[in-house]
Amino acid sequence: MIIFDNVSKIYQKDWVALQDVTFHIEKGEFVFICGATGAGKTTLLKMIYKDSEPSRGAIRVLNQDLKALKKKEIPKFRRKIGVVFQDFKLLQDRTLEENVAFALEVTDTPPREVRKKLMEILTYLRLSHKKYAYPYQLSGGEQQKVAIARALVRDPYILLADEPTGNLDAKSSEDITNVLLDINYKGTTVLMATHSISLVKKMRKRMLRIEDCRIIQDK
Amino acid sequence: MSLRIGIREGVRTITRNGSLFFLSLLVAAISLFLLSLFSLVTFNLYKAIEVLDEKIEIIAFLNQRANVDALKENIAKIRGVDEVIYVSSEQALADLRDELQDTEEILNVFEENPLPASFRVKLEKDFRNATGLQEISGKIMLLAGIDETLYGGELVDQLKKVTGIIVMFDLGLLAIIIFSVIFVIFQTIKLTIFARSTEIEIMKLVGASNGFIAIPFTFEGIVQGLLGGIIAFMLTLITYRVATYFFGSLFFPHWWFLLGTIAGGMIFGIVGSGIAVRRFLK
Repeated sequence: MIIFDNVSKIYQKDWVALQDVTFHIEKGEFVFICGATGAGKTTLLKMIYKDSEPSRGAIRVLNQDLKALKKKEIPKFRRKIGVVFQDFKLLQDRTLEENVAFALEVTDTPPREVRKKLMEILTYLRLSHKKYAYPYQLSGGEQQKVAIARALVRDPYILLADEPTGNLDAKSSEDITNVLLDINYKGTTVLMATHSISLVKKMRKRMLRIEDCRIIQDK
Repeated sequence: MSLRIGIREGVRTITRNGSLFFLSLLVAAISLFLLSLFSLVTFNLYKAIEVLDEKIEIIAFLNQRANVDALKENIAKIRGVDEVIYVSSEQALADLRDELQDTEEILNVFEENPLPASFRVKLEKDFRNATGLQEISGKIMLLAGIDETLYGGELVDQLKKVTGIIVMFDLGLLAIIIFSVIFVIFQTIKLTIFARSTEIEIMKLVGASNGFIAIPFTFEGIVQGLLGGIIAFMLTLITYRVATYFFGSLFFPHWWFLLGTIAGGMIFGIVGSGIAVRRFLK
């Protein structure tokens, strides 16, 4: 499903973000990408949805060689991948429902299907009762759930989460991690980047540990 | 479908970011007004120069024995002569009385009409200069029945030099204004797009095509250009009305200006937002 083959990312002469990274993630896996801030987790995730190009090496995602993927094909490719961030990236001037619907509407989904999908996803994440609330009226955990709803509403094959619990308290963090585990349980491949080793240890899932731009541990 | 959503997004950004939209609309309107005002000045400058140019002519005075019809025909045959108008001595006197108005009694000292008959010789465009005037007036002088010719000569060349400088200055200024207007409008559009960078980022992330992302901004550009153009035209119209009060009649083709400001605004809006969005999309 995701293959990194000797991938390096060098931003400038002396600034290396990732060095000779090789790994293979199977369909349906749940993988933690672990490492300190600035270790290269975000760069790694960005390369999966082609927001960043590797300087060396090859990447295959969903049976697609990313180097061969044309610029025009990127939007279609991205619809198969959901992304969630630490800062949620919600549109503050839109309600919860509008934020989620936005992802469907800008990708040309018929209105009838938008309504159906919205109902499904909001029910699943238990957000229906707050669908007219604006992001600033929601707690951090709820906002992240909205971001997850937006990422999931198009039924992606892969869900990437970049420090999704970084801004949340312990209780909400656990809540969000459980949501991600459940999504994985239903068949979606999930990659979650985090700097919290303790969280990872509790979960007993595969972990790629990045340090000094290299993968130093894969278990 | 996608156009409907795109336009809905455009309307949304206009209504939600009302103050920003208003600000950039103001910038567009004022810029277009400046441009249209300066075009008005330029048009009238050219018109004035044209009128002045047409006034360049040779006056040929006839003596008593002249055969008017034959002379007129002969002068008209000279290369560079556009039109020959006969002014009889009676007509000349009447014109002079008109010109003198209240002080026309002065003419009573003459027992008979002192003014000779004359031809007003108008020249073709290429001959309206010192050399042309000299050459043609020389040829006229050779004809029997002509006493004397009168023309501006050097003065005409000096006038041409001055108008030439004014025109160059005007065109230079126009170029600067066009450049600044493009710069200011483009910067403003960039600012409004930057204010919505999160929207663009999310649209990219969830897989909206670049064409789709551009729709709301293009729509906003069109609306802004349309409104900005209309406001600019109205400001120009007001200025024109005030100016005619002071300077008399001016040349102002209303429809062309209305069309020009609106079309200009929309072109700036569409092209500007297109370039700015494209930069954002990399």
